[in-house]
Amino acid sequence: MSKKKILVVDDSKTAMFMVTTILRKGPYQVITADDGQRAVEVALAERPDLILMDVIMPRMTGFEACRELRQREETKTTPIILVTTRGEAENIETGFDSGCTDYVTKPINGQELLAKVRDHIAA
Amino acid sequence: MKDRNDVGGYVRRVQEGTQRYAQDVLAENERLRMLVTALEGEKLLLADKARLVGELVQANEALRTLAASLETETRRLQDHAVALRADRERFETELARLQSQLDGVKDESERYSARYAEVEQQNSNLANLYVASYRLHGTLSRKEVLDTIQEIVANLIGSEEAALFELDPAAHTLKLAASFGAGPDTRRSIPLGDGLIGRAAAAGEIYVADPDAAPSEAEGERNLTACIPLVLDGRVSGAIVIYRLLPQKAGVEDVDRELFDLLATHAATALYCTKLHQELGARVGAGR
Repeated sequence: MSKKKILVVDDSKTAMFMVTTILRKGPYQVITADDGQRAVEVALAERPDLILMDVIMPRMTGFEACRELRQREETKTTPIILVTTRGEAENIETGFDSGCTDYVTKPINGQELLAKVRDHIAA
Repeated sequence: MKDRNDVGGYVRRVQEGTQRYAQDVLAENERLRMLVTALEGEKLLLADKARLVGELVQANEALRTLAASLETETRRLQDHAVALRADRERFETELARLQSQLDGVKDESERYSARYAEVEQQNSNLANLYVASYRLHGTLSRKEVLDTIQEIVANLIGSEEAALFELDPAAHTLKLAASFGAGPDTRRSIPLGDGLIGRAAAAGEIYVADPDAAPSEAEGERNLTACIPLVLDGRVSGAIVIYRLLPQKAGVEDVDRELFDLLATHAATALYCTKLHQELGARVGAGR
């Protein structure tokens, strides 16, 4: 069975390293991008099965990238999990308005992250 | 004449007697005819009864056969019921045994699940420690080490308000080297032994605020969550101060304490290495 492809988007090298370390324990192929603009480019080229994206990033935020991806035919149904620093309702609402499928809050819990990834990739 | 009269009388009497006899015979004949008719009716009735009795005898025979067969069937069913009862008892015993086994398996499964979750959590914690250590020692750039400390605090511990102090050994004072999100009231220098931060640095022991105790209102200590002295070769070289945790973070957890321990030595070493690297670079540059 081919590995599911996950695009991880984060400008923080530490966060990126941590998330890829967690995901590589599972049956996933991880590809990366370090800002929202690059995420859109990589997503259109690589067609990942799921996108895990930080919110606060240079050039294009996670919310903006999410909106952009939802307008593209190739990625309009790809599950997108946003990684938010702030877990307040307003922030979450903005995430869902931008078209994200789900969210996780920092600090990331490895088990929670893997569970959400499994849920959305299996769905 | 008298004789003639006597004969005539006799004849008449004979005639009358014969007539009466004939009438009697006719009456008897009629009675007998009626009796025969009645007997014939009786005979037919008896024939019907005989037929009915024959049928009843046949039916009785059939019923007897049926009763015998039912008796046999009853005995067979009784035997079967006894066997089924024995089977049921055996199955109930087996069911109880299997239920007990299932309960055992369930208990074991729950124990394994709990253990699995525990191991997964430990894995996750170890991954955090590995990531922190790898990132701190993956560079000789001071800026990158400072960024990494900030990222560890934000992404692994869960705070966007922290400051890094470095010790000025001559002045016995912690000097602010970097801060993020810590607010303007962050003190720029803290004498060793002064306040919670100064005391933690002087003792070289990690301070974690007690969530049940009243928070400190001292300058630069509002919202203080932890102070992690940076210790290198047994000597304090600075401190990482963590203020407010992210709202979704309930409090300091075991893995955070392990990260504090790791930061205490590895951040100190990483910063020291960048300093050595800078000094070496400067010396090499001067030597050219």
